[in-house]
Amino acid sequence: MEEGRAERRRRTEAPSHTQGGPRRAGVMTDVHRRFLQLLMTHGVLEEGDVRRLQNHCYRVHDRSAAVEELEDFINNINSVLESLYIEIKKGATEDDGRPVYALVNLATTSVSKMASDFAENELDLFRKALELIIDSETGFASSTNILNLVDQLKGKKMRKKEAEQVLQKFVQNKWLIEKEGEFTLHSRAILEMEQYIRETYPDAVKICNICHSLLIQGQSCETCGIRMHLPCVAKYFQSNSEPRCPHCNDYWPHEIPEVFDPEKEREAGTSRATKRSLRSRQH
Amino acid sequence: MPRGQKSKLRAREKRRQARCETQALKEAQATAAAAGESPSALSGGRPAAAAPRRPQGAASFTGADAALSGTDSDEGARSQDEGSPRSSKGSEVSHRDPLNKKVVLLVQFLLQKYQKREPISKADMLKFAIKKYRNQFNEILKRASEHMELAFGLDLKEVDPIRHCYTLVNKLDLTDGSMHEDENMPKTGLLMIVLGVIFMKGNCAPEEEVWEVLNMMGVYAERKHFIYGEPKKVITQDLVQLQYLQYRQVADTDPPRFEFLWGQRAYAETSKMRVLEFLAKIHDTVPSAFPSWYEEALRDEEERARARAAARARTAAMASARARALASSFAHPK
Repeated sequence: MEEGRAERRRRTEAPSHTQGGPRRAGVMTDVHRRFLQLLMTHGVLEEGDVRRLQNHCYRVHDRSAAVEELEDFINNINSVLESLYIEIKKGATEDDGRPVYALVNLATTSVSKMASDFAENELDLFRKALELIIDSETGFASSTNILNLVDQLKGKKMRKKEAEQVLQKFVQNKWLIEKEGEFTLHSRAILEMEQYIRETYPDAVKICNICHSLLIQGQSCETCGIRMHLPCVAKYFQSNSEPRCPHCNDYWPHEIPEVFDPEKEREAGTSRATKRSLRSRQH
Repeated sequence: MPRGQKSKLRAREKRRQARCETQALKEAQATAAAAGESPSALSGGRPAAAAPRRPQGAASFTGADAALSGTDSDEGARSQDEGSPRSSKGSEVSHRDPLNKKVVLLVQFLLQKYQKREPISKADMLKFAIKKYRNQFNEILKRASEHMELAFGLDLKEVDPIRHCYTLVNKLDLTDGSMHEDENMPKTGLLMIVLGVIFMKGNCAPEEEVWEVLNMMGVYAERKHFIYGEPKKVITQDLVQLQYLQYRQVADTDPPRFEFLWGQRAYAETSKMRVLEFLAKIHDTVPSAFPSWYEEALRDEEERARARAAARARTAAMASARARALASSFAHPK
């Protein structure tokens, strides 16, 4: 089932060649190269846009060819990128489980992709925000708490007003998401930095009990404390009228979200913004 | 969180890492000495690793990034200790082929430069990616270029073979406009160079001499250039139309020969000093390294400053004259 594979793909512990079938030497054509170039410029893309992008690349470079199944297409590219320690990684947004893709470096243990776009003190602000987010119970850090740390930043002195703007820059560049004055990690940041985060904060980091990937936002069992991503909860408890904790079997006290369905969303024409505001945080 | 044990473990890990790195360096030097011999032959003592490994812990790349590397070595050490076998895999890769690590770094560096549309200098590549392997720059560059071409369809081209400046060109010939191309940027570089030649030839340069300089940079009159397009058209027509350059026939020449001068707009929008600064930058030096031109540029700056002051004085005089006229008309109402 595609969902299962998607979850496994998020695990950075597992070596890549157990994902999505046998690994074969990839053949790169201009279609793949163009796709890579464009994906790179976007930083992170949702699955729908990725499919459109793939179709666009075929139209431009090889009209006659049949559009390869997306998963195979991506695996193909990844097998060529493997020796460069770069990979197209698939993940999902933590709030509603939309599949997303990003081109990530595997060979670095720091936030290097941000490094060229931000100054030293800005990067340090991000690090401080990251720490607060990871340490928090909800996966969100309040603007106030982040701004209170501006005096501790490395590099040039930054005032709170400046810091507010820098935080907005992070949001614009899809490193952070802001919701009601609080900040959490964008799915792009999670995809790019999961490895770095797990290695840098091994004690504070939270892991999902279902997919074993990094967890920033999610639901937790009030009895035994295990955590699950909202989309993982949705899948795990799908059509289960009496949801129980997979670990301690106690009654699962939270609202079970809906599984993300791209078809339903297209038909309903619901805006993403409306959906997000309907979903409340579960802690 | 008990820190005592962690710092002990961290220190131990640091020592171990230092030992690994000296080992890697020794092997790298041995590799360099045995010119061209395959590195795997030398690392015979190490357990041979299977086909491309993914360094899950990526320990061998710790500290590669300057920006946030402040705490990296510490945290890298801490993570290695967290019982994972990843670190040993990582160092195996680096021992087997230390050059490969640099190729990977260089590719990532080039990708960043490409996305930011910044020119790439050899100096930057050495500083940020290649570092101590400078002697093998050409080999590393060659391998990185191959990767860039194969995986991304990007061609690494040397724009200036003397100053070693490179750029990445998209081989995929984008015509659908999905990637935004800044048309004006490359022409500015060409313009500055031509202005510089004109300046250095005493403010009037024969066409042949302009082409001599441009040819040294790989820009030819009869050849389409991947950045500048049709260079001859650009400098003899486009930039002239825009009034940045003057292109005129040298008096009494048959067959006709031409010369270039600064255009009106060049004088207005830039200055001799700025052009000299640009030239100094691409020659990795300072404007004062060209004494006679520097003096001329200084004089030009003084002239401009005086002209600005005079203009301000005139404006001030006019303003006060108007004020006086107003005041007198109030004092003596008609």
